[in-house]
Amino acid sequence: MTLSTMFLTMAAGMLRTCGIFALTLLGSLPLGMIVALLKKSRFSAVRALIDIYISVIRGTPLMLQLLVWYFGPYYLFGWSIRGWRFPSLIIGFVLNYAAYFAEIYRGGIESIPVGQYEAAEVLGYTKAKAFMRIILPQVIKRIMPSVTNEVITLVKDTSLAFTLAYQEVFSLAKQISASQTSFMPFVIAGVFYFIANYAVAFGMKRIEKALDYYR
Amino acid sequence: MIIEMKNIKKSFGGHDVLKDISFGVDSGEVVSIIGPSGSGKSTLLRCATFLETIDGGEIIYMDQKAAYTGTDGKAVYVQPNELRKFRSYCGLVFQQFNLFPHYSVLKNLTDAPIQVQKRSREEAEETAMELLEKMGIADKAKAYPYQLSGGQQQRVAIARALAMKPEILFFDEPTSALDPELTGEVLKVIRQLADEKMTMVVVTHEMPFAKAVSNRVIFMDGGVIVEQGDPKDVFENPQEERTKRFLRVFER
Repeated sequence: MTLSTMFLTMAAGMLRTCGIFALTLLGSLPLGMIVALLKKSRFSAVRALIDIYISVIRGTPLMLQLLVWYFGPYYLFGWSIRGWRFPSLIIGFVLNYAAYFAEIYRGGIESIPVGQYEAAEVLGYTKAKAFMRIILPQVIKRIMPSVTNEVITLVKDTSLAFTLAYQEVFSLAKQISASQTSFMPFVIAGVFYFIANYAVAFGMKRIEKALDYYR
Repeated sequence: MIIEMKNIKKSFGGHDVLKDISFGVDSGEVVSIIGPSGSGKSTLLRCATFLETIDGGEIIYMDQKAAYTGTDGKAVYVQPNELRKFRSYCGLVFQQFNLFPHYSVLKNLTDAPIQVQKRSREEAEETAMELLEKMGIADKAKAYPYQLSGGQQQRVAIARALAMKPEILFFDEPTSALDPELTGEVLKVIRQLADEKMTMVVVTHEMPFAKAVSNRVIFMDGGVIVEQGDPKDVFENPQEERTKRFLRVFER
């Protein structure tokens, strides 16, 4: 295998890596907010359910969760899991990251001074409008550093897709390295991940800068 | 009367903060509420502005009941959508300003009128600029709260409350978070509003201000109104022993 074939094969894998990354963020960023708000629900049963969800997700390895989502339907219900690989992968990632984002959001929401809620209330904002217009924008600014951390971790965590033999860049690196007895695929994979994270860090910094107009 | 509060009772965790308080404010009247901390002054304002719910009693704005005592003795509030109307009657200026830091000064003044009262942007901005002009900070319209001094921030907060065109404006220790040299500029605008016959209730520790500006002074202690009346009478010739003791502290 020539170096350029190796590179092109892995670049295709990197596209799949980016696919997992993008879909996970697309699902988990909003879902995390829903979870964070449900955790403040006035129904104790809802709060308890959310607590269980978050502690199970945080208390078990993501790799294990991915295996459960992929093989669970077969072992539990005897269903065919054909075509289930990619959907189960995304479900596993989204539910995992939503739990972590939910905790970040909750921390951010709780850090907003109660005076902000009261000022909005006295001015007659509805609860929903006060949250969307007054609270949320301030929360987003405060949680940006934690979110950046989580997003960078996600870029690297996508490599766990290899447990389901999904052909993203890390799986391919392992396969090609074994078949070609070459160290090169790992180097290429490392460079890909590093470049991806460099881009993520750059993008997040731009967003933080854009939110820098107030304190 | 703009607001009438009758037999207000409020307790926090078994501690009675307001014990059967009644008071009313006429249109154009400026009332100062003085008293030691923990006397229930702030709680009274927070009940009047619906930030706290009363346990018993009546809150009446413009002859309409916002809350009344039900058959079981507990306070009953009107439906939430109707309560919004009552909220629009009153404004509150906080000790800590509580401006929205992510909005410019102008947007702090226009967002609620546009979003809550559904006024047009042009009208809201025009009103806002007039108010900022009056507060002497029209040049700060595009600034963000963090760029302003405490005194300027509090003047923005007063303008923000006025932008909603309330019938009555409540102040909860409006100068207590300010450096002494900045309190003057805030008291000046409140005095100016008093001259324009804005109906106001001011909880304050600024005795000379209370004496000079208000039509009536209320002295509260231990969740009750101990004494009230013309500022001259209350300050110079207090009847109650508790009032005398409190005022003596300020003479030193």
